[in-house]
Amino acid sequence: MSIGERLNELLTEDKTAIPVNIGFGPEGFFNINRSVLYSWGIILVFFLLCIFLTGNMRLHHISKRQLIAETIVVKLRGLVSGLLGSFGARYTDYILTVLLYIALSNLVGVVGLVPPTMDLNVTIALALMSIVLIEAAGIQKKGTGGWLKAFTEPVWIVTPMNILELGIRPLSLCMRLFGNVLGATVIMELIKMAVPMFIPALASLYFDFFDGLIQAYVFIFLTSLYIKEATE
Amino acid sequence: MDLTAIGAGIAAFTGIGAGIGIGIATAKATDAVARQPEASNKIMMMLLLGCALAEATAIYGLVVALMLIFVK
Repeated sequence: MSIGERLNELLTEDKTAIPVNIGFGPEGFFNINRSVLYSWGIILVFFLLCIFLTGNMRLHHISKRQLIAETIVVKLRGLVSGLLGSFGARYTDYILTVLLYIALSNLVGVVGLVPPTMDLNVTIALALMSIVLIEAAGIQKKGTGGWLKAFTEPVWIVTPMNILELGIRPLSLCMRLFGNVLGATVIMELIKMAVPMFIPALASLYFDFFDGLIQAYVFIFLTSLYIKEATE
Repeated sequence: MDLTAIGAGIAAFTGIGAGIGIGIATAKATDAVARQPEASNKIMMMLLLGCALAEATAIYGLVVALMLIFVK
């Protein structure tokens, strides 16, 4: 099929993976979306990895599996250690979980499946979780009155801008992630159609691995930066 | 004359800003590394972060163009 038809199929297809025909509700309301199914797969992969790495833990004379698990945790925590500030350090584990989820779901494109983050619903959900966390951290640190007063923080003139940022920040987080994954997937499809032989593997090194991991890191970096700014 | 195609073409112009911005950032980064090669790790991390953030505005244009073409 031609490039136009392939793009049309990729971008406007029906994403139901498992149709669930319960009686009530509108037609097809309980159908399981493909992104949900792939997210379950990601959860399963991490679950099995965690069970495998943390079996039989000891305090002294640790096994090699436990060494790998401890190294992973220490290195990941070191990655985000300075970003969250002193009050935000309690949210380190949540931020690392989001980082791992986005990283693995961007890498799903390597095996030829459509990444869950290419679905706008998933990125909007992640961005909403981030903005609720940021504002909740601000309220918890400063109290409700202090949080409201923080809208007028540097000069009182920028108050409309601060109120607008409540909406602009999750929008930009969501659109950045969605747009990058969408662009990477579309370009990989075009390359696979044009030159099916060796080039897709090389191009996938940049588009899937490099771009996917960098975008996951940028997402949590910006969330941590906003948390640190809200709790200073 | 289909105005959707013209609109999508205009939306693709956002790539100019990202290209110029990332080019200037890379120039400054290479200057900084040339001036102090032992800081090159930190400079590279900052450069990658800045490029990913600057790329976002070009990606917004891409999303707008794709939505114009494929959403009826």
